[in-house]
Amino acid sequence: MSREEYLNWTNKAFDASKIFAKPEALHGIRVLELATLILGPAVPDNLGLLGAEVIKVELPGAGDTMRSVTPYGTFWKNASIGQFAQNHSKYHLALDVRVSQGAEIFRRLAKKCDVVVENLRAGTMDRWGIGYEQLREINPGIIYIALNGFGQWGEYSVGRASYDAVAQTVSGLLATTGFPGRLPLKTGVFVGDYFGALQGTIGVMAALHHRDRTGHGQFIEFSQGEGLMRVLDWSWLYYYLEKYNRPQTGNRDLAICPSDVFSCQDAPVAVAAASNQEFQGLCTAMGKPELAKDARFSTISARLKDENAVALLAIIRDWAKTKTVAEVDALGSKHGFAASPILDAKDLYESPHMRARATVFEYEDPMYGKMVETCCPAKLCKTPGRIKWANKPVGLDNDFVLRKLLGLRTYQLKALAEQKVIGKWVENPPGRKPPADWDGKAGVIM
Amino acid sequence: MTLPKITTNLPYEDFSTETDRTWVDWIHDMDDPKQNYLKPEALDDLTVIDASYGSIAGLFCSSILAEFGAEVIRVEPPEGDLAREFSPFGYKHQDTGLGYLVEARNKLHITANLATSEGQEVFRRLAAQADVVIETAAAGVMDGYGLSYRYLKDINPRLIYAAINTYGHFGPDAGCGKVSYDIIDQARSGVMAVTGEPVGPEGPQPWNIPTKEGSWMGWYAGGAWAAFGVLGALHYRHVTGEGQMVDVAPPEAELSFCDYHVAYYHTTGKIRGLVGAYDSAVFPYTIVKTKDSYSFIAGFSDVNWEGLTNIMGDPELRKKYPTIFDRLNPDFQPEIHKAIEAWSKNFTSQEVFEKVQDYTLNRRGPGVVATARMADVKDNFEDENWWERGVFDKGTDPVYGDLALQAPVWKMTGTPGRIKWVCRPIGADNEYIYQKYLGIGKTQLQEWKTKNIV
Repeated sequence: MSREEYLNWTNKAFDASKIFAKPEALHGIRVLELATLILGPAVPDNLGLLGAEVIKVELPGAGDTMRSVTPYGTFWKNASIGQFAQNHSKYHLALDVRVSQGAEIFRRLAKKCDVVVENLRAGTMDRWGIGYEQLREINPGIIYIALNGFGQWGEYSVGRASYDAVAQTVSGLLATTGFPGRLPLKTGVFVGDYFGALQGTIGVMAALHHRDRTGHGQFIEFSQGEGLMRVLDWSWLYYYLEKYNRPQTGNRDLAICPSDVFSCQDAPVAVAAASNQEFQGLCTAMGKPELAKDARFSTISARLKDENAVALLAIIRDWAKTKTVAEVDALGSKHGFAASPILDAKDLYESPHMRARATVFEYEDPMYGKMVETCCPAKLCKTPGRIKWANKPVGLDNDFVLRKLLGLRTYQLKALAEQKVIGKWVENPPGRKPPADWDGKAGVIM
Repeated sequence: MTLPKITTNLPYEDFSTETDRTWVDWIHDMDDPKQNYLKPEALDDLTVIDASYGSIAGLFCSSILAEFGAEVIRVEPPEGDLAREFSPFGYKHQDTGLGYLVEARNKLHITANLATSEGQEVFRRLAAQADVVIETAAAGVMDGYGLSYRYLKDINPRLIYAAINTYGHFGPDAGCGKVSYDIIDQARSGVMAVTGEPVGPEGPQPWNIPTKEGSWMGWYAGGAWAAFGVLGALHYRHVTGEGQMVDVAPPEAELSFCDYHVAYYHTTGKIRGLVGAYDSAVFPYTIVKTKDSYSFIAGFSDVNWEGLTNIMGDPELRKKYPTIFDRLNPDFQPEIHKAIEAWSKNFTSQEVFEKVQDYTLNRRGPGVVATARMADVKDNFEDENWWERGVFDKGTDPVYGDLALQAPVWKMTGTPGRIKWVCRPIGADNEYIYQKYLGIGKTQLQEWKTKNIV
């Protein structure tokens, strides 16, 4: 009864239909982005989900490289599906910061911003006169974050490009993912980019708290390879203590037993039961309650011993073969151990739970129509995250941004466009321009 | 039909190898981790109560806040957190599992039995003085104790309350009461459904199933998103004075790393299966066998594909798969992968790296190729570069002795994070914290100890 009451309360407090009736946590924070692909653009995207105003600066014409990166080369309504994921609710300014007028415009914008995000090679911004040293002179409160593969300094920071998979490869994540003796597995998504961007975002937020207290800005440096090394559990400590070089162990968790994936009659199922109580529940569900008293399995530490763990997982594997995923899932609920099917994109897309939580978020974009995307997983009851519009074509908001923030006049905008300091999209490569049926107005603010 | 030429060169980069020493030297001086302890801390005005249980997600969330200077008080049941048991093969260091030792940094540890009325009262009084509460129980558990946000907000309207649980605290599945661990979070995130080796020519094998990421990535995703949510709520509180509740479900947190996962299904009605060494949006962008190890290698856009095939000395391969659409075709990807591997296995990873660097840096032809040798735990721990960069921190803990941990990931000129101590035993800080926040002394604590309240 009390749980129902509580859930009534939470369902009301977090009601997704009220998202746009509530304020935003980062309202009033303005972010200037000069970044490409994912690691850089996902930081302002995260901040934007909680209400920051983001100005995305791209090179006139081709813009963000991610506009070319899209699953199986699928361009949907002339847009890259890969570009949508980390470019929500941004203002799109196409500005060539490599020429002096462009750099000056960037500096003037930075003066009116709270956060600058870039993911260029170390020293590039500095060379263009828009690095942290220069920007802090005109805006001492600026929080400036630079993200890349190997950092701003150090042996590996010189002359090397980085991608998500480089971070996975150099960090040790790759070497510890996949089955023994098989291919070291790349995570099927760009985790080094997105997780790195989230870590970077947290750095910005800590700096913002400091600025709220003191008025001082600062520079933050983040390396995505180092970011993944942070989250390799006990690997470093165990190596330090026992020289144990952590191998690939498939789905088996060496530190929690049982915790693995087992093949059922129909599909694989994830199962875990760390505590004695949960383990007893699992044994009962398997029809083998005596296993919980077996000296090999009766305590947490006993179950974790290598030979015992191997024996136990084999017993569960044999049992799971005779069941369906739904049966194991139901037994988990009944007997108090953890069990779950493996969910794919379709499962999540269709999940009423994900819709109710606005994690799978549906909205109508002025240019692209009905969109369904992943939205902010941090649910704030008073200031919920939201998506306002989708990624836009290159340079769509040039006039609006430059008029609103810098007061530029029509003749100035014209001259800048003529000199190619600002610009719009090109026809080719694809992924830059508006949809074919665009009326020339939808989505344009000014 | 002529297909458009696509380039993935970073548009702002000139790929020059000359580094601007002025900037590099200056910033190295400004954010060198060796100076961290001389600088102020971003969050040292905050008190955080972490009542998480059996969850690295909760611990990682409070680790982040603790690294930035918050006073984090871990509240464990009298017998300690289940997470203290999470350790490879059950290995213990002074009765504590290694999984816990890594995420107990800078935290103070007290005990309170929240199933007792005294324990609940203690928690309420702490929460009344705290800025942040973190918990990981199933929806309704803390509420049953009278300690959920709907109760605590009345005694502390400024409180930020973070709930981290697989099934969330609202929505149709919330309150299902199911148990959860990292493997469940990963399974429900969508990431596992695309991670793993697809069935090869030899037919289905045991490893052709959805595969988890090696580390507790579901938990880290949940903890990190919760930390971001808390910091967002803190800024809002700075502006308005109001606290709020933050609800994070780790599977959804990890789903946010799934690039276009949901959007691809929405726009095309298709899903991706296990991608193995291939990638749906960039290829080649893959892991290949070398003489001594494995390497990552990429050459996706037409110009970079030209670069890669030039390095391989295989113009025929280039002509066979001339466009990105050929290279992103799942039917062709295994053949391309095999061809690259036939070349790469003749060289060590270092030799592959040298060939790529020689081509790229000396501009021996068009295109930029990226490669990296796979490093394992041993390689990285023994690599001076990471120590110089402050990735690891070795220090002496007053209780746990000499240990090495991964350090905070941010280098910052103003308020960098830092590690001060590694861990505390169960209830080690009871006297200090009960005294400081509640005015409860030794005598009362001893009496409570006999009643299993602390």
